[in-house]
Amino acid sequence: MLALVFAVQGAFQTRARIADTFDRQSQIQAAQLELEELLRLQIDEENSLRGYALTHDPFYVGRYRASTQDFDTKESAIRTMLVSQSPPHGLALLALLDEYDRIQVEWRRDIAVPVLAHPNQPLSEFERRTDKAFSDYETRTVAQLRDQLAGVNADLARSTQTQLDRTSYVRAFWLLVFGLLAIIFNAYSSRLGRELEQERTTTEVLQRAFLSEAMPLPNAEIGAAYQSGSELAVGGDVFDVYRLSDDLALLLIADVSGKGVDAAVLTAFIKFTIRGIALRRRDPGAILAEFNTAFAQTVENPYLFVSMFVAIVNTRNFHVRYASAGHDSAFVRRSHEVQQLAVTGPVLGVMEEPFETKQINLNAGDVLVLATDGLTEARDRSGKMVGEEGAIALIAQADPAPQRLVDELVAKVKAIGGNRLRDDLALLALRPTSVGIGFDDA
Amino acid sequence: MRSARWLALGAAFALYLSAAPAAQADCNLRTHQHVVLYSSTEDPDVLLWDSRFRLRAYHAATFDEAQELVRHARLAPGGTHAVVESCVPDFVDSPLFERPADAVGVLIVSGKYSGQRGWVLGPDVRP
Repeated sequence: MLALVFAVQGAFQTRARIADTFDRQSQIQAAQLELEELLRLQIDEENSLRGYALTHDPFYVGRYRASTQDFDTKESAIRTMLVSQSPPHGLALLALLDEYDRIQVEWRRDIAVPVLAHPNQPLSEFERRTDKAFSDYETRTVAQLRDQLAGVNADLARSTQTQLDRTSYVRAFWLLVFGLLAIIFNAYSSRLGRELEQERTTTEVLQRAFLSEAMPLPNAEIGAAYQSGSELAVGGDVFDVYRLSDDLALLLIADVSGKGVDAAVLTAFIKFTIRGIALRRRDPGAILAEFNTAFAQTVENPYLFVSMFVAIVNTRNFHVRYASAGHDSAFVRRSHEVQQLAVTGPVLGVMEEPFETKQINLNAGDVLVLATDGLTEARDRSGKMVGEEGAIALIAQADPAPQRLVDELVAKVKAIGGNRLRDDLALLALRPTSVGIGFDDA
Repeated sequence: MRSARWLALGAAFALYLSAAPAAQADCNLRTHQHVVLYSSTEDPDVLLWDSRFRLRAYHAATFDEAQELVRHARLAPGGTHAVVESCVPDFVDSPLFERPADAVGVLIVSGKYSGQRGWVLGPDVRP
């Protein structure tokens, strides 16, 4: 930015200097032309006087006076042009012009005035010699003025050329600087982009590896969706559907605070730890309590916490025993009525508390919908949040088929946010296709 | 004895060549050459100086000094005939001249100054 400011300022200064030099050069060139005109007027004066001395015709007196007046006007105009020149050129030129003017004034006094006063009286030998000296020295002074004007003109032309050359060099320098800066910035940006892309790819690979596959369950349809809220980072949402036995399945959905690789790794920890605990314990509250202990011992970051919903589903009778660690985005849709499942304990990673286990029984056609806060906390462009009631309404209006239901929810959340997601969104839906009789402790 | 005489004659000739202010090759004029005086300045009259040093001083002087010097010159009208008597090359310098001019010694052979001698500026002498 600073380089850009310097470059622009330098360009303006150079332009002003070149404009000034051009202006001075045009003044000098005008003075050169005017000087030749001045010399012509001086010769007119002298010839008019000679004409009068020889013929005594008053016509020559009139011509003499007109030439005198024009000479003085022209001399004054040249003086104005030379005054605008900076020293030392201007002073030297003005000194020569002064000398020229003085000689002409003295010529008028010593030669012209006596001739005009006594046209019949010829000039004396001495006056003629003096007249010759006047003529010689005026010629000499004009020649000197001519030479000096030509010299100044050449100097100014050289100066303009030098400034133009310098401008070219400076422009080339700044181009080089900006070019190098652009290359460096581009390289840095590419490197940063590569690193970000690498992290995203790594995280996505990890998440793909760890993210819940919707494992098919007997007598049930499963729908699942996961959408990241950012292109540069992935979130910490996770869900899992895992068969614990022929008749039992683990349903899990969790939301880790934070994003990126740390969160993604934590989702893996959640998934496999919960699976491991669930293979030994079938009580969701006990599963959460054991996980909470393991989480506190494993994760050292005090700012990380997890909201989680865990359910053990009997895939014969679809009795669902569940516990919710601060995860309130769990719903049961029966026909078009939607019920929100209450949380049964605090979020994980905050305190050691027991987690209550509750049970619901699903009938054929009922849909258990589990979501992360990307659903309830989605906002429209004015900032208004969907909220729990909005989420319930969306679920109630959606297609009952689990996969279509979650796809519809993703599309609606995107539409609400102006075709983009502000937060990660994980959705899991389970619908029993046939409900039979089974034992809960299978 | 004879060789001493020849040596003295040679030395005298050499002295003559070096001391004589006669026209030389640089002057492009010959002694006794008939010329016309005509000034190259806007006034065709020619100043005829009583000394080549005053001729030189006039062209190097300021205007005020030049006005005093012209007392020592006569003004020969343009077209006056003269005969070259001597020439000193590159003797006169002036801000007007690109290179120094010759000083030419002439004998006036026409007009009211006929028979008088003087020094004039080389460019004012026309063969």
